[in-house]
Amino acid sequence: MKPSSSDLDVCAQEPIHIPAAIQPHGALLVLDPTDFRVIQASLNAVDFFGADTRVGGPLPDMLAAKADDLKAWHASNVALFQVPISEGALHLRAHRSGAGIIVEVETVPPGPEQDLFLRLRGLVEALSAARDIGGAMTVAADMVHALTGFDRVLVYRFDGEWNGQVVAEAGNGRLPSYLDLRFPASDIPAQARALYVSNRVRIISDVNYDAVPIEPSHDPDSGAPLDLGFAQLRSISPVHREYMRNMGTSASMSVSIMVDGRFWGLVACHSAEPHSVPVPIRDACDFIVQSLAMRIAAQTHGEDAQSRVALGRISARLLAAMTSGQSWLDGLVSVPEDLLAQVDASGAAIVAEDRYLCVGETPPEADVRSIVGWLSSRGEQDIVSTHALATQFPAAEPLAATASGIVAIRISELYPSWLIWFRPEVVSTVQWAGNPHKSVREVGRIHPRHSFNAWREQVHLQALPWTEAQLSAARDLRNAIVGIVLRNAEELAHVSSELQRSNKELEAFSYSVSHDLRAPFRHIVGFAQLLRERENSLDPKSMHYLQNISESALSAGKLVDDLLAFSQLGRTAVAQKKVDMNKLVAEVVRSVMFSAEDREIEWSIADLPVAWGDATLLRQVWFNLVENAVKYTRPRHPAKITVEGRTGDEMTIYSVTDNGVGFDMAYAGKLFGVFQRLQRAEDFEGTGIGLALVRRIVDRHNGSITANGEVDKGSTFTFVLPTSEKKGRALA
Amino acid sequence: MPEIRPILLVEDSPRDLELTLTALEKCQLANEIIVARDGAEAVDYLFGSGVHAGRADGDPSVVLLDLKLPKIDGLEVLERVKKDERLRHIPIVMLTSSREEQDLVRSYELGVNAFVVKPVEFNEFFKAIQDLGVFWALLNEPPPGGRGHGSV
Repeated sequence: MKPSSSDLDVCAQEPIHIPAAIQPHGALLVLDPTDFRVIQASLNAVDFFGADTRVGGPLPDMLAAKADDLKAWHASNVALFQVPISEGALHLRAHRSGAGIIVEVETVPPGPEQDLFLRLRGLVEALSAARDIGGAMTVAADMVHALTGFDRVLVYRFDGEWNGQVVAEAGNGRLPSYLDLRFPASDIPAQARALYVSNRVRIISDVNYDAVPIEPSHDPDSGAPLDLGFAQLRSISPVHREYMRNMGTSASMSVSIMVDGRFWGLVACHSAEPHSVPVPIRDACDFIVQSLAMRIAAQTHGEDAQSRVALGRISARLLAAMTSGQSWLDGLVSVPEDLLAQVDASGAAIVAEDRYLCVGETPPEADVRSIVGWLSSRGEQDIVSTHALATQFPAAEPLAATASGIVAIRISELYPSWLIWFRPEVVSTVQWAGNPHKSVREVGRIHPRHSFNAWREQVHLQALPWTEAQLSAARDLRNAIVGIVLRNAEELAHVSSELQRSNKELEAFSYSVSHDLRAPFRHIVGFAQLLRERENSLDPKSMHYLQNISESALSAGKLVDDLLAFSQLGRTAVAQKKVDMNKLVAEVVRSVMFSAEDREIEWSIADLPVAWGDATLLRQVWFNLVENAVKYTRPRHPAKITVEGRTGDEMTIYSVTDNGVGFDMAYAGKLFGVFQRLQRAEDFEGTGIGLALVRRIVDRHNGSITANGEVDKGSTFTFVLPTSEKKGRALA
Repeated sequence: MPEIRPILLVEDSPRDLELTLTALEKCQLANEIIVARDGAEAVDYLFGSGVHAGRADGDPSVVLLDLKLPKIDGLEVLERVKKDERLRHIPIVMLTSSREEQDLVRSYELGVNAFVVKPVEFNEFFKAIQDLGVFWALLNEPPPGGRGHGSV
C-alpha cells in the first residue's frame, strides 16, 4: 500500500533509531562492557552523573556502587537493568546496544508510591468488570489519563494493513476528540513500528526541546553509529515533531499494545502544554496497557470461538435450506440473512447456468455478469477474493458503492457458475461518533486531518478486508454446494440411465411389434383376396363378409403403421434445416387429392414463410392437417380449405382452416391425445393418432400447436415454429 | 439368352411363404423356386454345405431374403454372402415386415441390392413380388465370369 503523501515517504526512510542525540530530561552514557569505561556521553552527562564524568574516563563515582550489579546483569541474558540511584532521586536504566552498554538516567520527582499500587489494583478490577473490549479500552484510557495527567489519551488500533483507527478516548477536552479518526499506515512507518515493538513506552515531554548531542556521535573504535532504538531518551525525528506541533500538542507518550506477540495498537497520550511523566508512572501505564492487552487477547479468543460457533450454526442452516429447497439455489436465497452473514457481506449474487439470483446490495445483473466474465477468465481458481476489486478489474470501479470487495466461489466445473458476495467501499461504511473536523485548528504540511484524507485516498475503492475465518466459511460453503450438486448429478444420472434402459425396452418392443404385428394383417388381407379370386360363385353377403375381413385387417395394419411412426418419432433426431413450406404444401395437397379426385374443393393457399426444421417430419404435419381438412369437409359442396402463414417474433406461424364439420371447443383438449377421436368411425375413418403425431412433431421442433373449431362451421389448426435464433419454445 | 437359374426364397413364416409363392406363380416365371426355411439352410444352399452339400452347380438368379429368420437372421446371411468373393455378385432382395430405419440402413451398408417392405394390401404385395421376380430373375444380367455361368 503506497502512502499518498511524499512527506511521509521521506519519513519512512528516516533512520530514526540513530539520531546521535537525546531529549534533555535525562542523560546518557555508553560504557565499554569490559572495563566500564565511558565511550560516548550526552553533552549534559556531567549534570546528571557528576563532574567526574568524561568520555574515555572510568565509570563515574556516582555509579561505582552499582558496578557489581551492572556486571552481573551484563553477564546475564536479562534485557534491562533498572535501579533507583541517588536515594531514589534518579532512575537508572541500562540496556545493551551494539558492543556497548547504554545507561540512561532521569530524575524522579517524589511521589506516593503506595497510592499508585492501590490505583493499579482498582484498575485490574475495573478491567475485568468491563463487559467488552470497548469497555476495557475505555477503562484503560481513563486510567492512563488519570495517572499521567495528559490532556487526551487515545487507544489506537491497527487493521491488517497497519492503517490505524482511534477506538477509545479519554481526556479533559483541552484537545479535540479524535475518536473514530482513521490514519493511513504511513503515519507510523515500518521502522517506527519495529521500534515500538522492541521499546514499548516512549515519551516526549516537550516537543520544542533542544536535543542534547552525544559525543562522539559514533563508536570511536568501530565507527558505528549509536543505536538508540531501546533508549528511553532517544531524540525523536524532526518529522514527528512537526506532526506533533501541527496537531497542537507539546508533549506525547505512547505505549504499545502487544496482543499474542502481535503489535495490536497503541495507547497514545497528548498534551497541549509540555508535560513530563516520571518513570514509575510510565511503568504503571505499561502495566495498565499490558493488562488491557491480556484482556483483549482473552476476549478475542473468546469472540473467535463464539463467532466460529455462530458461523457453524449459519452454515448448518444454509445447508439445511439448500437441501430442503426446490433447488440448492432457491434454498440459499430463501435464507438471505444467513447467506450474507456467512462472510459478513452486504450483498450476494448467484449466477448459474440458466439462473440469476441476488440478495442484499449488489451491482445490476449486467455488471455482475461482467464480473463473472472476469472471474472465469482468470483460470481454474475455485475461490477468488479481493477487498479492492477495481485494482484488479478496473471495469468494476463504478461499482465501488456495492462491489469494492468480493468473495467468489466457483460452483460448477462445466458452466461459468459463481456465487459472489459483495462488500461496499469502506469509506462509506466508516461510522463517526462525532465530527472530528470540528474545531480542529490545523496548520502545516502533515497533521491528522490530512492523515484522514490520506487514509481515505488510500482505501478509496476498497472494502473491509475479508478475514481468514470468512474465507474459510466461503470455502466450506463451496464444498457443501459442490457436494449437493454432485449428489444431484448422481441422482440425475441414475434416473437417466433408468430412462435409457426403459427406452431401450420400448425400442425393442416396438421393433418386435413392427415385424410381428404387421404380418398377420397382411396374411388376412392376402388370403381373403385369394379366396375371393378363387370362389367366383360367392353370393353378395359372403362377398360383403370377405370385404369386411379385408378392410378390418387393412385398418388394423394402418393402425400399427401409425403407432410405429408415432413411437419412432420420439427416438429419431430432428434435423434443423431451412424448409420451403410452399413446396411441401403443394406436394402434400397433390398427394392428398390423389385419393380424393372426385371432391370439389376451393383451395386458398397463401405464400408461406420458410421454416426451420426437419422436412420429412414437417411434411407429415402438413399431410395430416391437410388430409384432415379434406376428410372433415366431405359433407361440404364446395369445401373451402385455406392455408396461411406469416412471420412473427423469432417464429413462423402457419394455419390450415376448413369449413368442415368442426368440433366442440369443450373437447379441444382431447384433440391431440393418442387414440382420441371426436368423430364416429362410420362417419369419418381414422386411427386417432394423426393429430397426436402432429403435436409430437411440432413439440420436437420446440413449437406449439392450437386448434379452434365450431360444430358444423369448421376448424382452424395453427402451429408455430421457432426460427433458428430463438432459444426456447415458441408459443402459439 | 442366359440359362434360367433358380430363385432362392428364404422365408420362415408358412403363410408368408404361401402368399409369396402364389404371387411368384402368378408371374409365370420359368425359374425354379428353391425354398429355405431359415438362415442356416439358406447359407448351406448358397455355400453348398450342410444339407445342400454337393448340390447341383449354379447360383440362384436372386435371393428373396426375409429379415427375421430362425438360427441365422437375414442380415447375417446377407453379410456372409456379400463378404464372399464368389457369391457377392448374387442379387439379394431383403423382404421385411418392418419399416425400421436401422434395418434398412444396416442392409444397405452390407450391400443389399433392394429392400422391400411387404405391403399389407395384397395387390400391392403381389405387384412388388412380381416386379422383383421380373427384374432380378429375368432382366438382371449376372456379371461375366460368375460361378455357374456356363462353367460346367
